[in-house]
Amino acid sequence: MATATATKKKVRINGCVASAQAAKYADVDVIAAYPIRPYTATMMALAQMVANGELDAEYIVADSEHSQLSIAHGASSSGARVFTGSSGVGVQFAYELYSPISGSRMPVQMMIADRTLDPPGDFGSEHTDALSTRDMGWLMGWACDAQEAFDNHLIAYRIGEDRRVLLPQMVCQDGFFVSHITSDVELPDAGQVKEFLPPYKHPYPLDPRHPVSHGPQIMPEQGPPLQLERARAMEESMAVIEEVHDEFAKIFGRRYDPWVEEFMTDDAEVVFFMQGGHAVTARFAIQHMRERGLKVGLARLRTIRPYPTERVKDVLSKFKVVGVIETNMGLGSPSSGGVLYADACAALYESEKRPLVMSFMAGMGGEAIVLKEFYWMAEKMMAAQKRGKIEKRTHWVGFEE
Amino acid sequence: MATIEVQRQVLPILGNPNQGARFYNPDLPSSEPFVPGHRTCAGCGPSIQYRMTSKAAGDNTILVGPTGCMYVANSSYLCTPYNVPWAHTQIGSAGSFTAGVAAAYEAMIRKGKWKGAYPNIICEAGDGSASDIGLASISGALYRNHDCLIICYDNEQYANTGIQASSRTPYGGMTTFSPPGPEVPEGKKLYPKDLARMMAAGHPHCYVATASVGYPIDLMNKVRKGLNHKGASYLMVYTPCQKGFVYETPRSIDLGRLVVECGLYPMWEWNPEKREFDYSFRPQSMRPVAEYLKLQGRFGHLHAQHIANLQQFANEQWQMMGIELPEALIKAADVKNQTNMAAAAEAEQVALTV
Ligand SMILES: Cc1ncc(C[n+]2csc(CCOP(=O)(O)OP(=O)(O)O)c2C)c(N)n1
Ligand code: SF4
Ligand SMILES: [Mg+2]
Repeated sequence: MATATATKKKVRINGCVASAQAAKYADVDVIAAYPIRPYTATMMALAQMVANGELDAEYIVADSEHSQLSIAHGASSSGARVFTGSSGVGVQFAYELYSPISGSRMPVQMMIADRTLDPPGDFGSEHTDALSTRDMGWLMGWACDAQEAFDNHLIAYRIGEDRRVLLPQMVCQDGFFVSHITSDVELPDAGQVKEFLPPYKHPYPLDPRHPVSHGPQIMPEQGPPLQLERARAMEESMAVIEEVHDEFAKIFGRRYDPWVEEFMTDDAEVVFFMQGGHAVTARFAIQHMRERGLKVGLARLRTIRPYPTERVKDVLSKFKVVGVIETNMGLGSPSSGGVLYADACAALYESEKRPLVMSFMAGMGGEAIVLKEFYWMAEKMMAAQKRGKIEKRTHWVGFEE
Repeated sequence: MATIEVQRQVLPILGNPNQGARFYNPDLPSSEPFVPGHRTCAGCGPSIQYRMTSKAAGDNTILVGPTGCMYVANSSYLCTPYNVPWAHTQIGSAGSFTAGVAAAYEAMIRKGKWKGAYPNIICEAGDGSASDIGLASISGALYRNHDCLIICYDNEQYANTGIQASSRTPYGGMTTFSPPGPEVPEGKKLYPKDLARMMAAGHPHCYVATASVGYPIDLMNKVRKGLNHKGASYLMVYTPCQKGFVYETPRSIDLGRLVVECGLYPMWEWNPEKREFDYSFRPQSMRPVAEYLKLQGRFGHLHAQHIANLQQFANEQWQMMGIELPEALIKAADVKNQTNMAAAAEAEQVALTV
């Protein structure tokens, strides 16, 4: 590659600051902020960058998350690259806007640092905030560390702004486990970013020289074609997602599987299936178990919308037992636990070789999932393997023998 | 950082602003950013306002339309009457979406991503949007002083959902959420939220004014003053809705004058430089409120007491503007000098006979 590596640098920052750095590298035009922990630290960092003159952007302190997303919608509709974000109940306060933004095909980007919903006013990380919006037409996936968070922001802008896609993106990271833990992050050379991420150009912005109307009222029969188009954009984004990850690897030298990252799965019989920051502790736990001869592995979902159905089917069909670690609430869901289980089972339905699938409510309330809990879950999975049958669909880890 | 200076438009102010309904003026541009053919009701006050407002702004304009009649009835079935860029936004997003458009143009022009004079950015919010569900979003946009004009086309109700009471519905106004009945003879019991004064008091750096479709040139001048003001402006425009007010459709402009002449829609401007109200606007005459009320079915149920209450309310508005009250209006606020509306009297007669 022609890009100079001279100005690349390693810094030690947390996930929130990594996201702010990514927005700066993406040269965003409009930022819409509203405080809520833990994502606030991203907006604090951006405010300082703007104050220092490091980033030329309109920094708007909105009056609510609903306004944040509406500001983002208006700015994106006008042709500006937009960055916003939230956590927990803030994500839900803005709920009305998710469908209008994807429906008008505006590639707004939103950073999420997860937080439990109320009650009980807990600061810890649960993925329910962002997951509750997962069917609204936003591209969505979780990072497991600060470097990946940084990279995901750039990757998501490139995918979302592609004319074949034009969809908004939720770039998620666990609150605290990723958002507030510092680690080494490589910040690229500005030239690399320029090569990877072309300027944002929407085909039909609100521009007085080319008048267009966005979002007129319709008759019932005019609705389905628009819904179908949005559904197709989501489906067809899959090829672009793969292409962009390849391109990213070429320019930045870090290769991510866009869909499912496998860890120690070669001869694994039971695997954890999960997303987000707990995967880091899971990797450590799996190594620990491997040293003791257990055939355990990890499959980490990196993109949940669009859902990589084929890929999940192929990956999970290789194993005997799959243990879905939820870290989210799906009250009254098919597993009476979280929401990841049902998607995984749907992907496996057409498999010739369906593994046993069970679901674990772990990491709830923002608790760390500790080594002995990984052992406890692995034992449940191995017992099911031996029995050829699961004991029950959902286990609340820490609440059972 | 090297930045490009943002060029702003300056629109000329028209002569003879207080000339009443006739709004022929050779200085008006011939362009029509809001064209006919839309599906609003005959005589629709909000759409008459829309045409005047967008004409005053011209073609380098972007319009934002929160949910309401001016979205639904204008842009029906993928056909739109807007000759300039227009976007629908959510009913609670009036100020916020508009702020996003304004911020985008500030940044894009400054960073060399868009070339040209900063466009007129106008939001057309209904009173339900502006006084209730989108109030915070508009206050946010005014407070942050984005260069934009937020217009509340005030038809004093949620029209598009089938006529429900909003915070702007007048005392005594019948809507489907404030129907009169034996227990609540006046219908709407609460007086309207003084939204325009709230906006002026809370955001004194903004140009704020009230206007009415009854005074087209005055309205267009206020639009231009709002657009010329660098920063945020707020305009509250009386726009009768025949479906909710229940009147003869050719009388929209008459009502727009009568409401001012009766003191129920005080006309003023807030001057952000001097930080004071300008009450110099004078209607041709001052009239009792009954003259305005009796033209509308929504007030047909009012009793003498309710009319007197409304006269009292109007008198307070005149006094707030420092205008001396003629004897006749003081008397009209006394219930002894009022009679029930014809429909109310009739209903009473019917009630007595059964
Ligand atoms: C969040 C939300 N709540 C309610 C509605 C239903 N709704 C559609 S139009 C409308 C009336 C708006 O009233 P107003 O702002 O006064 O505009 P008008 O219809 O009078 O022109 C309402 C309440 C909606 N579209 N969105
Ligand atoms: S209901 Fe009222 S506001 Fe709506 S289009 Fe008809 S006249 Fe206009
Ligand atoms: Mg209304």
